[in-house]
Amino acid sequence: MKMPTARQRRLRTILFWAVPAILLLVPLGTNAYTQFIVNGMLISTLVTLGFTIVIGNLGQLAFANTAFFGIGAYGSAILAAKLGVPWLLTIPIAGVFGAAGGFLASAAALRGIRSYYLAIITLAFGELMRWSYLHAKPLTGGTDGLPMPRETLFGTSLTDDTVKFYVFLVVTVLLVKATANLLASRFGRAVMAVRENEVATASLAIPTSRVILVTFIWSGFVVGCAGALFARHIGHVFPESFGMLHLIASFAMVLVGGLGSVLGAVLGAVMLTALPEYLRAFPGMEELFFGLIVAAVLVALPMGLASLLRRLSPIFVERFYREAR
Amino acid sequence: MSDLLIVEGLSVRFSGLTALEDVSFRLNRGEVRAVIGPNGAGKSTLFNAISGYVTPTSGTVHLNGEPLTVLTPHAIAERGIRRTFQNGGLFPALTVLENVLTGLHAQTEGTFFDILFGRRKALDSEAANIARARDLLKLMSMEHMADTPAGDLSGGQQRIVEIVRTVASDPPVLLLDEPAVGLSPVARDQMMDIIRRLAGEKGVGILLIEHAVELVMAVADKILVMAAGKRIAQGTPDEIRQDRAVLEAYLGHA
Amino acid sequence: MFMQLTLSGLAQGAIYALIALSLTVVYRSTTVVNFGHGDFVMAGAFLSYVLVVLGGVAFLPAGALAVVAMFVLGVLFNRGLIRPILGGPHIGLALMCIAGGYVLRGIARMVWGREVLPMPPVFDMPPIFFGSLVITGDAIVIISTVLVLLLCFFGLLALTDLGKMVQAVYQSPRGARLIGLNVDRFNDVSWGVGAALGALGGILVAPVTLLHPDLGASFLIKGFAAMTLGGFGSLGGAVLGGVLLGIGEQYAGAYLDSSLIEITAYVIIVLVLFVRPQGLLGRKAVVKV
Repeated sequence: MKMPTARQRRLRTILFWAVPAILLLVPLGTNAYTQFIVNGMLISTLVTLGFTIVIGNLGQLAFANTAFFGIGAYGSAILAAKLGVPWLLTIPIAGVFGAAGGFLASAAALRGIRSYYLAIITLAFGELMRWSYLHAKPLTGGTDGLPMPRETLFGTSLTDDTVKFYVFLVVTVLLVKATANLLASRFGRAVMAVRENEVATASLAIPTSRVILVTFIWSGFVVGCAGALFARHIGHVFPESFGMLHLIASFAMVLVGGLGSVLGAVLGAVMLTALPEYLRAFPGMEELFFGLIVAAVLVALPMGLASLLRRLSPIFVERFYREAR
Repeated sequence: MSDLLIVEGLSVRFSGLTALEDVSFRLNRGEVRAVIGPNGAGKSTLFNAISGYVTPTSGTVHLNGEPLTVLTPHAIAERGIRRTFQNGGLFPALTVLENVLTGLHAQTEGTFFDILFGRRKALDSEAANIARARDLLKLMSMEHMADTPAGDLSGGQQRIVEIVRTVASDPPVLLLDEPAVGLSPVARDQMMDIIRRLAGEKGVGILLIEHAVELVMAVADKILVMAAGKRIAQGTPDEIRQDRAVLEAYLGHA
Repeated sequence: MFMQLTLSGLAQGAIYALIALSLTVVYRSTTVVNFGHGDFVMAGAFLSYVLVVLGGVAFLPAGALAVVAMFVLGVLFNRGLIRPILGGPHIGLALMCIAGGYVLRGIARMVWGREVLPMPPVFDMPPIFFGSLVITGDAIVIISTVLVLLLCFFGLLALTDLGKMVQAVYQSPRGARLIGLNVDRFNDVSWGVGAALGALGGILVAPVTLLHPDLGASFLIKGFAAMTLGGFGSLGGAVLGGVLLGIGEQYAGAYLDSSLIEITAYVIIVLVLFVRPQGLLGRKAVVKV
């Protein structure tokens, strides 16, 4: 396998910071609607990233992603609306809530509930959460949802999509960088080892349970933070946002980008966030589109777009983004 | 000097079935002790019990005087008992170098947060380990395969990489589960040489399950013969060759 | 009250049993859990609705036609999308099933829009009274249809070589291939039967519920809960689990809180997997080092 040279690695670091630097200029060229969509892309990036490390890198069939997202969003909304906590502060707290969700999901995996069983129990977890949003009316507002309170940041109203954009961008870049660090380290290697052969991994003095636990917790943290951004993004949290359609959209983003790839998470999120906005006008097209694209990628390009880029130049080689053998 | 590894009265029962019964032995530094016996004799169960994959029903395992019997597999590996697997324990999607690096996981510095924030400490330690892993591969003349996915190697190469990975952290005790199975005669000779060097030069205490009798006779200092979960004989290769019980139980024709 | 609840639980449970059984048929042949199965159920209901309301066909022939169509769809789905990736990771298989389900759901919504549609009543029989117990026509039709179907299904397995074949493929697809079984065709038929049975579940509930493209999702979870409760991979367990779930939901709703009906299935999944993962009739999986 071709590995990047030292020069290529340096170039990659420069590219990594150049992209967000250029993105700082985006609000100059957008109107309110396109800015809203770009903001959505940043949120999708985090959701996809949190998802891909569990199903791609760790290789666990856990569908609790939607639960983490909802927990983060409701956590942020409840703190902001009921307790008056400034929204900015709710982001890391929502992350911790999401991480707690990750802890619960990992408890199932560590109990030996794996593969399809894990998929089913995490699906049930997500639906139980949605049921709680509907029935914990005093906290969540039930079917009416929960509006985010008006707030200003640096003297500008937080209803302004440009202000939101800068906050979203900083959060996204930090979490993407931290996740990339994590995956490229000995920890990322241990995650990959657990996926490949859990029994042998333990024989190398690698605490496999802790690796699984921490991966789920980090996934929950990232997606929980994304939930807090989402609450502010749409300004009103509804239970329907955290159902099955959200799950299939996340799957599509993970797969199109490439299972287990950080770059792929970004690509998948950017490509597939805008389209549904346009498709929404035609009933059924959203489901049809996501269904077909997932099926097509699974058959034709199982490792997603990142695997094509990787072939193009070693700059795009990620340290532990591998196909299962 | 006291013994490195002491196994005393180790027994394992699975729902009424006795897989291992009252097995005791000692292993010294630099000693190669082979465990032989027919299929179902309890050899693998013995390995699994020592390395923590199976909880013994009774009996104890001590390493340098420290009891290990209640620990999990990774904790036992951390204390210094490392093992290979009969069916191969490599990570096929990881490269040869990365496979060896997994063996150095516990030797890498930097906490979770050091890694998260990309602090120097974690990066430097990783770089040092990469250099070390490359040196180890060079010793086995495998440095040119460092970036090859382990799944692409031949069976013999995989066995060698697995051993390199297992000894990378300089463990005092090594459990090798049929390291020569499926190897060509040349690769088998190389394996014998590796085992002798590990014991002779590095002083590793090696416990070896192996079916290839000539390999066992050539490298083992002591042989432990098992049948039906019990130890039926123990001694030097010469003693075992003349043991009546062994001939009856193991070779099946006395 | 108690008898009435048990009766409606039985009618619900019969549907769940059918769905869990169809999931199990597919699982035992290809060891794939069809995460899109809920949408197969929906598609069955949808097809019969279209035939009855738009095509003017009578309910019985419409139902039969829909079942046949879904059988064909199941076979095609297996051949075209599952077989090419069958040896691959479970993640790909699970996602493929979800994707297939979403395509069905998308098509349904394109034709159907976002409305919720009632099927005209078909089981037009007067209810029967036993003291205070009311037995509706729907309940009679559902329970008796499922009962007859189960008798045929398990009868076929017990009395023909089919049962041995099912067992052989489940134990070892490779071994089954070696002794000359056409495993590919067996898998096709299993997927076909799975899709048809699931669709039949949808057809049976169509007249008694409101129809909408998302109705499959909840049936999928109920099917999973029934399978998990009965014991994953056990055909008899699927039926038992389905019936128990149906009755349990009714009791929980009546004696505890009506909002609990929706989450009985989820709670069962979580509890069973944590406490007794092999379910009531399943065998314990043995992990080998």
